[in-house]
Amino acid sequence: MIQTVTLTIDGVPVKAAKGASVLDAALEVGICIPHLCHVPFLQDTGACRICIVENVKNGSSRVTTSCTLTVQEGMNIQTNSEKIRKLRRNLAELLVAQAPNSKAIQDIAVRCGVKEVRYPFRNENCVQCGRCVRYCTEMWKANALGFVGRGKNRRVEFPFATRPDFCKNCGSCTLYCPMSITPCGGPMKRGEEHLCGKCESQAVTAPNIIGACTRCELGKGFSCTRHML
Amino acid sequence: MRKFNHSSDLEGFRQELLEERKDITSTIIIPNGTCCQAANSLAVIKAILQEIARQGVDKNVQVHLTGCHGFCEQEPMILFEPGNIIYCRVTPEDAREIVGRTVKGSEVIERLLYTDPVSGKTARTEAEIPFYQAQDRQLLQHNKWVDPRSIKDYIAIGGYRALVKTLDSISPKTVVEEVRSSGLRGRGGGGFSTGRKWAEARSAPSDEKYVICNADEGDPGAYMDRCLLESNPHLIIEGMMIGAWAVGAQKGYIYVRNEYPLAVQHARLAVKQARDIGLLGENILGSSFSFDVEVARGGGAFVCGESTALMTSLEGKVGEPRPKDIHTVKEGLWNRPSVLNNVETWANIPSIIMNGSGWFASKGTKGSKGTKIFALTGQVKNTGLVEISMGTTLHDIVFNIGGGQKNGKAIKAVQTGGPSGGCLPLSKFDLPVDFDSLYEAGSMMGSGGMVVMDEGTCMVDVAKYFLKFLQDESCGKCVPCRIGVDRMLEIVTDITEGRGTREQITLLEELSETVAETSLCGLGKTAPNPVLSTMRYFADEYFAHVDEKRCPAGVCKALISYDILDEKCNGCGVCLRACPHGAIKGEKKKVHAIEPQLCLKCGICITECKFDAIAVG
Amino acid sequence: MTTIEPILEGRRSQPDQLIEVLQDVQKICGYIPQDAMKTVARELGVPLMEVYRVANFYKAFTLKPRGKNVITICTGTACHVRGSDLLIDQVKGQLNIEPGDTTKDGLITVECVNCLGACALAPIVVQNESYLDHMSPAKLRKIIDHAKGKKKKEASDAQVQS
Repeated sequence: MIQTVTLTIDGVPVKAAKGASVLDAALEVGICIPHLCHVPFLQDTGACRICIVENVKNGSSRVTTSCTLTVQEGMNIQTNSEKIRKLRRNLAELLVAQAPNSKAIQDIAVRCGVKEVRYPFRNENCVQCGRCVRYCTEMWKANALGFVGRGKNRRVEFPFATRPDFCKNCGSCTLYCPMSITPCGGPMKRGEEHLCGKCESQAVTAPNIIGACTRCELGKGFSCTRHML
Repeated sequence: MRKFNHSSDLEGFRQELLEERKDITSTIIIPNGTCCQAANSLAVIKAILQEIARQGVDKNVQVHLTGCHGFCEQEPMILFEPGNIIYCRVTPEDAREIVGRTVKGSEVIERLLYTDPVSGKTARTEAEIPFYQAQDRQLLQHNKWVDPRSIKDYIAIGGYRALVKTLDSISPKTVVEEVRSSGLRGRGGGGFSTGRKWAEARSAPSDEKYVICNADEGDPGAYMDRCLLESNPHLIIEGMMIGAWAVGAQKGYIYVRNEYPLAVQHARLAVKQARDIGLLGENILGSSFSFDVEVARGGGAFVCGESTALMTSLEGKVGEPRPKDIHTVKEGLWNRPSVLNNVETWANIPSIIMNGSGWFASKGTKGSKGTKIFALTGQVKNTGLVEISMGTTLHDIVFNIGGGQKNGKAIKAVQTGGPSGGCLPLSKFDLPVDFDSLYEAGSMMGSGGMVVMDEGTCMVDVAKYFLKFLQDESCGKCVPCRIGVDRMLEIVTDITEGRGTREQITLLEELSETVAETSLCGLGKTAPNPVLSTMRYFADEYFAHVDEKRCPAGVCKALISYDILDEKCNGCGVCLRACPHGAIKGEKKKVHAIEPQLCLKCGICITECKFDAIAVG
Repeated sequence: MTTIEPILEGRRSQPDQLIEVLQDVQKICGYIPQDAMKTVARELGVPLMEVYRVANFYKAFTLKPRGKNVITICTGTACHVRGSDLLIDQVKGQLNIEPGDTTKDGLITVECVNCLGACALAPIVVQNESYLDHMSPAKLRKIIDHAKGKKKKEASDAQVQS
């Protein structure tokens, strides 16, 4: 029999399998925590930080990513507090300013309540969620892709920047890339990038419970776990 | 050398060494650390040795090459014991006179003595120098008696006695208790209770545990750890051995920065020597305790100072931090319980064991015990390593020990804690320096860098400098640190280049909060500190840049212009030759002019002009 | 690559030795050649991707050969406050290269480092492993001139010999 623990998420008692992540436990019971770099069956790295929650303990709270947080008996988690919403919005704003040419990122921005982008847009085609890298190394054990360099110069690259002969041509790297879905209106030209925001009406949450998942259309864009399983 | 099989062997060996050395009448001490070598100590040493050979001195006069003596500004130095005489800024040309008059004739050469720039008084001995007077040198005092390449020197001054005491009579549990009640807190910056950390690691169930010494001192402007490891490596090894005994570890690692080649060399030699005489290895001194240490070089990455990144790097991988939801004392290196402490923390252990936790706790303030070493640098007269009791005020450090302003410009701030810390203004100089008061003031103890800044330093530029540093050193794994810090730099750059707006200042504040709250590791969480502290204390400078498009310190290139003053320029042509960009024109003996299109405002001409003829407007 | 064989001695199939091995490769070769990375990957049992990542991540490793003279400018806080920016400007103006680059004739490589820990003697420049204290643009100019001058002398020596 699977051992379970009971924790509280947004005031609701939740049972979860021992060893599960808080993110999985929340998604399981239909609490929507937006996420980007998390993919089922792959190791969580806590890179995108979108899935942050507050872990309340002895009156003080710690902000941490729910994908890397393991459930524990008696845990008290806030996924949708004022503070978390603000931080998440700011993170999503950083992402969409970096890569406005991805419907997935635009959808995340909508889901996280980004109304304006206060930074000059950049037109990059990677937000380094690392889905491709983890598929390549963990699922296929190919090790044909990886993060190279550091800081601002960090990028996803083949060894010596050329596709190696040990690449298995599985195509997972492009399949799971959030950049592979272009915005509905076609790619935005340089200098004309903007916050799309048209899908706002699709960000439906259940009327009474804020943050409850309704399997909304937005999730398809960034391959939300609830749509993949 | 022989191997020791019993704890009494060590004491016997020490007595032999003292007997061997009892005839030494005087010692010439020449510090020879990395900074000393930068100041040409190697040439001085060569010259002194040549002169000794040429002039011939008594066989009981001993030349002792040691690590850094702390007063780096005055290097190269020579100290004479007994007598405590100290010579500063010695050149190879002085060697002949030093050997002839001081070594052979016991005569003091006035010219080489230290003159205090504040009072103008000459000091004969180390004890008379204000820089040393106000210090409490518990850890650094040994440096002058120890040749870092000689384990004999360390044993002779009583080294490894704390280890013997521990193995002979103190249980691991009591060691942890002793360290906990001493109140020692981690010297690397976090200030976590060392005793608590050890207790957690001790209780972690595992048959394999590690102790690690963090010598990846990446904070720019800090070099205490380099100095300790380089000058007295056995002290660190002894501390680690006691720690290993306490938590039950069999293996230790010293992770040294790649940029510290001398420290790597000395640490490796020290480990080898300790192994050779049986202080490292199986059944140390005949006890049941087995322990060994390995020295690992870092690869040159600031982020590897973070505990999880350091451990990943030790495993031979890219030094990216991992989420810390499970502490490293439970799952660290190779997923085993690991105790990671900074060099200075380890260095404190032997004396806590020897003198007791009460002795240690008698120094310092309520929440911060003991002494702390700071690297006092920047725009201050006396620069070097300063060891003080916790609770000494910033004012005492900067003005009494540091001697105050250097270039005729008033001191306005001191930066503590490196890229994770902040800038504290003059109005905060009466703060006692300890973990909690610095944190409350918006800065951090950090590992102990203290960079003094004067009116010629632009605080917005300082914020920009640290952001650039962090953007370069961030591993890039998480969004807030990689993109957030980059955006912060973008905003601050806008401000320094005259494009800043008030809205951007608000945005900068909000972004700082996001980066601090959501980053994965300590590097990102503390990254906004330099920005937040300068905004808090030097808001007027930000507003001058934004509202008036003016840089009060005259540093930000986009907001200043250079001009040659007709009445002061005599056409000597020095600036013309000095300008690497060819922006200065003029005939010999006639007033020169700067071509604004070519001028990159690098300021080289100003440093070169002897007539103050170049003005910044 | 026969030259890196001795480095691998006693370290084969030990993935945790990767950084140490690459340090030694850097020391012997002056940089990390692609072939060496492939050999190291094979011998230590580390995926090539990981070797490439490590070589790119740490500053100690360079992937391009460096010049005969390496001039390293320290840009730590203390050096910055005492004007290390001026030294970088001097290099840019005099050699027309950016930090991290090598002159076309392969004589001089200029690098920046984030702190060498000799802060009291700031600003610090390291020329081929020897530390120089209290540097100024003028002092640096002479050092660079000297480094360049060597070439002229060698060239003229060569002419004499021929």
